[in-house]
Amino acid sequence: MTRVTIPIGPQHPALKEPLSFLLTVEGERVMESALRIGYVHRGLEHIFQNRSYVQNVHVVERICGICSHIHTTAYCQGVEALLELEVPPRALYLRTLLCELERIHSHLLWLGVLAEHIGFTTIFMYAWRDREIVLDIMEELSGGRVAHAVNVIGGVRIDLDQEHIHSILARLDELERQVETFLGVIQHERTLQARTRGVGHLSAEQVRRYCVVGPVARASGVDVDMRRDAPYAAYAWLDFQVITAEEGDVWARTMVRVLESIESLHICRQLLNELPVGSLTVRASRRVPPGEAVSRCEAPRGELVYYIRSDGSDRPARVKVRTPTLTTLITLPDQLRGVNTADVPTVLSGVDLCIACADR
Amino acid sequence: MRDLLSALFTLLIFPGFGFLFVCALVFQWIDRQVTARLQGRIGPPWFQPLADFVKLMAKEDVLPVNAHERACAALPMVSLAAVLTTVLVIPIGRHAPNAFEGDLIVALFLLSLPALAYFLAGWLSVSVFSVVGGSRALLQYFAYEVPFLMALGGPAILCGSWSISRIAVQQSQTVWMMFVQPVGFLLAFVGLIGKLKRSPFDIPKAKSEIGAGPLTEFSGRKLALWHLSLDMKTVVGIFLLVNVFLGGSFTELAVPTALIFGVKALLTLLAFSVVGVLYARLRIDQLVSLGWRVLAPLALVQTLVVIWIGVQ
Amino acid sequence: MDINAVVAALRQTCPDRGIESRAVPIADTFVALPPDCVHAAVALLVEHFDVYHLSTITGQDTGGEIELLYHFWDGDGLTLRTSLPRESPHIATLTDLIPGAAFYEREVGEMLHVTFDGHPDPRALLLPDDWDGEAPLINEQ
Repeated sequence: MTRVTIPIGPQHPALKEPLSFLLTVEGERVMESALRIGYVHRGLEHIFQNRSYVQNVHVVERICGICSHIHTTAYCQGVEALLELEVPPRALYLRTLLCELERIHSHLLWLGVLAEHIGFTTIFMYAWRDREIVLDIMEELSGGRVAHAVNVIGGVRIDLDQEHIHSILARLDELERQVETFLGVIQHERTLQARTRGVGHLSAEQVRRYCVVGPVARASGVDVDMRRDAPYAAYAWLDFQVITAEEGDVWARTMVRVLESIESLHICRQLLNELPVGSLTVRASRRVPPGEAVSRCEAPRGELVYYIRSDGSDRPARVKVRTPTLTTLITLPDQLRGVNTADVPTVLSGVDLCIACADR
Repeated sequence: MRDLLSALFTLLIFPGFGFLFVCALVFQWIDRQVTARLQGRIGPPWFQPLADFVKLMAKEDVLPVNAHERACAALPMVSLAAVLTTVLVIPIGRHAPNAFEGDLIVALFLLSLPALAYFLAGWLSVSVFSVVGGSRALLQYFAYEVPFLMALGGPAILCGSWSISRIAVQQSQTVWMMFVQPVGFLLAFVGLIGKLKRSPFDIPKAKSEIGAGPLTEFSGRKLALWHLSLDMKTVVGIFLLVNVFLGGSFTELAVPTALIFGVKALLTLLAFSVVGVLYARLRIDQLVSLGWRVLAPLALVQTLVVIWIGVQ
Repeated sequence: MDINAVVAALRQTCPDRGIESRAVPIADTFVALPPDCVHAAVALLVEHFDVYHLSTITGQDTGGEIELLYHFWDGDGLTLRTSLPRESPHIATLTDLIPGAAFYEREVGEMLHVTFDGHPDPRALLLPDDWDGEAPLINEQ
């Protein structure tokens, strides 16, 4: 049979962001794939060196649209460590609240995108409708649906009162009912299982070799989660479970993400019910004494690492960002080998790519 | 002269182009509304299908350099012509304009021409997405067409006639074929989903995988006519199903035949919309497997049962 | 990982060279090594201590030299630091031990013009195909 080369991207209905795959297809099977990224490379690491620490909080937020808050969290944490600041507990709780709300919204967005790619438009519509609940809450808290600008070096700039807390808790209950419905669909609906089971398999061994992180790693049985392993923000004071699965296919990743969303809802309830009193920020000086910090957080897609080196001025000497999507991109040629062409969008969706994060 | 005028009326107004055009747009709107409401959305306004058609007719028409231009221009016309001709043998109301013994076979043949034209459209417009989509369309065709044909043959055998009108009349005297051959009805229903490339069998058009499949390179007027022919095929397919399985326009109730026929057709459309919302899209190999391992054997069993009953 | 045991074992990989370590904020321990000891040190981590998770490789221009940082994680954070000379900096690749290092080395390679000897696919990762050739993260002297 002849081999055909099918280009997926940089513009393609299956991709939300530009990415280029050249698939070599024989009949209905993918033989090889060649990956090319960098279409939205903005040279941010160079830009960081030319902005002050405070300005960089805003640049860092714009690395990604979906996981903007976790980027600022990781960055601010790193700078706060270099300044040896002790951020007030109330601020840490609020920071964590936004982190978990962002995780829920990211997973719901992803669920809709995956459903759309396997032709299950109904779930796409429902997931994105329910995601509005979370986006509304984030907008009330911060003024923005996706770019929240909640973190400042030394704390947060938002606050909540009791009435607001009750209103949010009520809506989180409603959201939990909806997410439980999705869980039921994923566990029992046969066409969805037919399209996602056994597709895009990664073994635990492959996960370790490629240093994969996040739900993709957890779905292959590798138990890593920075919230538990390197507790940052308020996680040391919270009680939650890390979700793993054994099958290592797209279905397992779906299960992991939906169960994680439910777990995040529990975490949000703890945060809101146990919110400590206190101030929201602590004063941070503009100049940061020389030093180095490695800040690790758990973004919705996995471990996010920031390395920051300061040289005593008000600008960082180096900010290095490693986003979780890079770790999953490297597995894609392996996942796509031998896969049915119709499953290519499913595999690409299954790893939850955020190319803006990967390219920076 | 009167014959000429009457023929022109049949071809152009009722039940020809004019009637089918309006029905196609109305059915599309109802389908989109039902789908939207089930998905928690509002759905498009009533004039949306008409607006989409008019907009497409006015758009620029481009094809890739290597595509066979004249063939690509002719193919949507072929598809449209086949569908329009089919409606002449389907009774809407009490009579079909051109009923004759064996018109069921002719109708089924004509209704499979659009599928062939669709595949050729993909093949002849040369881009990678179109070719892959075209080959998928052909695979899908083979998966559902055989069970569909066998399922529609059942009522014909039982009623002793291969004319749609006669089958419809027979049902008014006995009982709806849907009740006598429920399996056959289900097979025809599922087969029609595949024929119309509706969800969950909209594989050739799978947006996320291969652009728009065979029609990726079509635009403007050609694309408008393709969509129109597919919408009209939906209407004609539903009319065919109503006549062969649901008793057509005949009824003991003292209501106008148009109303009865309309209600049955709309209920069938509703069923299609609901089924479309409920499932994820199958992969082509899963559909082919379903077609040959489940649908075709069931159709075979149903046909044997029908023959056995007929012999008794 | 027992960070002290690991640091002690790393010192043994290059016994007659200076290896310093210190802890920095947010719990990482930095261990400085000469470039030709890095591969052996990582082999030790992977094979003996089962530390396989390389978070990333940072490259930076510290003014005098090109510095590479290999950030590892196994319950504790461990970063291996090494310095390369500015003129034709090169170091052995880690992809034979940790395939996941491939993208990180490609990025450091294109941003700082570091050559990773033995890398299976040293193309540019992020920079466009028509990039004029300068290393973006090298500070002009």
